[in-house]
Amino acid sequence: MHMTRSQFLFFYFVMTAALASGLALFSSASTITLALRSAAAGIFVPLILALTAAFVLDPVVSKLEKYHIPRSRSTLAIFFFILALLWLSGSWLVTYTQQMWISLLQDFPRYSAGLIKYIKEAQISWQEEFPLLAQYDLTERVREWAEKFFAFLIVATPKSALKLGSLLILVPLFAFFFIRDGANIRRSLIALAPNRYFEMAHDLSYLISRQTARFVRGRIIEASIIGLCITAGLSLTDIRYAPLLGLFAGITNLIPYLGPLMGMIPGFTIAMIDLGFGAQFWWIVILYILIAQVILDNFILIPILISRYANLHPLLVVVAIIMGGKIYGVLGMIIGIPILSACKIAFIQIRHYRRAFSLPDTGTELPH
Amino acid sequence: MHNLWDRILRSNKEEESLSTFLQRIPVFSHLNRKDFQYIKTLIHTRAYSPGEIIFEQGDPGSGMYIIRSGHVTLFTRDAHNKREDLSVLGPEDFFGETTIATPTARVISASCNEKCELLGLFRSDLFAVAERRPEIANRILLGLTSVISERLQNAILELRKYSVSEES
Repeated sequence: MHMTRSQFLFFYFVMTAALASGLALFSSASTITLALRSAAAGIFVPLILALTAAFVLDPVVSKLEKYHIPRSRSTLAIFFFILALLWLSGSWLVTYTQQMWISLLQDFPRYSAGLIKYIKEAQISWQEEFPLLAQYDLTERVREWAEKFFAFLIVATPKSALKLGSLLILVPLFAFFFIRDGANIRRSLIALAPNRYFEMAHDLSYLISRQTARFVRGRIIEASIIGLCITAGLSLTDIRYAPLLGLFAGITNLIPYLGPLMGMIPGFTIAMIDLGFGAQFWWIVILYILIAQVILDNFILIPILISRYANLHPLLVVVAIIMGGKIYGVLGMIIGIPILSACKIAFIQIRHYRRAFSLPDTGTELPH
Repeated sequence: MHNLWDRILRSNKEEESLSTFLQRIPVFSHLNRKDFQYIKTLIHTRAYSPGEIIFEQGDPGSGMYIIRSGHVTLFTRDAHNKREDLSVLGPEDFFGETTIATPTARVISASCNEKCELLGLFRSDLFAVAERRPEIANRILLGLTSVISERLQNAILELRKYSVSEES
């Protein structure tokens, strides 16, 4: 193809303009996503917490609705009930947790030093057996990590108290509207579907949201029972911080496979350091592993509360935990699993749906 | 200001007519007047353009449609994809009620003859009501059962007539 000079120049300018506008579009798009991300950053956590609260409280509201109490009124009633409970227990709860937190901050260096001592002993013994690992200093890493964590705790305490304050306002607000209008929100979103796909979208969204709600509810109830059991079991011993350890074990129990192990570490550490390797220590070990995990969780709670439906492959769980942790830290580790489970539920429901309707073509069977 | 009042009054009127419209549908004949306020939150209003397919035979069916305005043709397709019209339905008629209780595929197709407004009542909504307001779900199901058994009765009579005429 032959080009005159002016044609070439024109072609050159057009290409440059196209490239420049492409770049401009790309950069503005990335600024927009950046702006969206920073705008959504503060809202993500309260939204997820509110959604969880809505899933947990929804059956209670539905039960009240059965007695002809309108939905908004029954939602309000439950919120007032929770508020009253918090109000009544408030003065005791706040001072109790505050005292516990302050004394924990004082005790933390002692516990971390004790943990490091045990690790050091272990390190020396294993380095004798495996000289190859002589260069790897686990003790130093744990010490660094503990120092960082402690510094974070001291700085984060007033900050997280402020955050907690904003959560205390946002979460109930969001949860209230999710409970009251959740069905309507879903309805109006489904209403956007084109007529031809409306029925399917409606059916699937109902099935998926019901299964997901059931799953989240099950996990929350399971974690609270585990937390209560650990708290009660620890209260029988002389260990300090039983409620905090129970709370920690309950929260980490939301992470499959790794969570229960993570939940045991502080309990074992404090028991080792404060109580030594006596009968109480072994009771705590039995409590954490045998009673809470094996008997209560695996034999009783999981078969009752969690359907095998949303079971994830261990490999997927690990991937979700790592990816969630990279994005949102510990919270991401906890949230990653239900999000992945919701995806799996959606996937299974769609497959079921397709299979249920893969009937022979009815047209050929009709007489004509 | 005038515009605002106009809008408020008009929407009220429309809502009013939706419940009075629903009261005339046999499926809802067992419901109390009060229940219609609740039913309104279950019904999906969908607008269709002329010639638009509502569902095809073989589609997953999940509920029934009530015609609020316009006309709908029910038809089947034979093995050669040739369309055979079965009947034309008008306002206050309903169709697809057999799929509301159990998930089955549609056995006929439906399309709009002109601009139509259809009201949809679907299985999942009925399940949700059964959990929250069982007595309303009961009344809807009663109405539905009587409609379906009436249609079944008619179908049996038709079949009998058909077989008698075949024999003779």
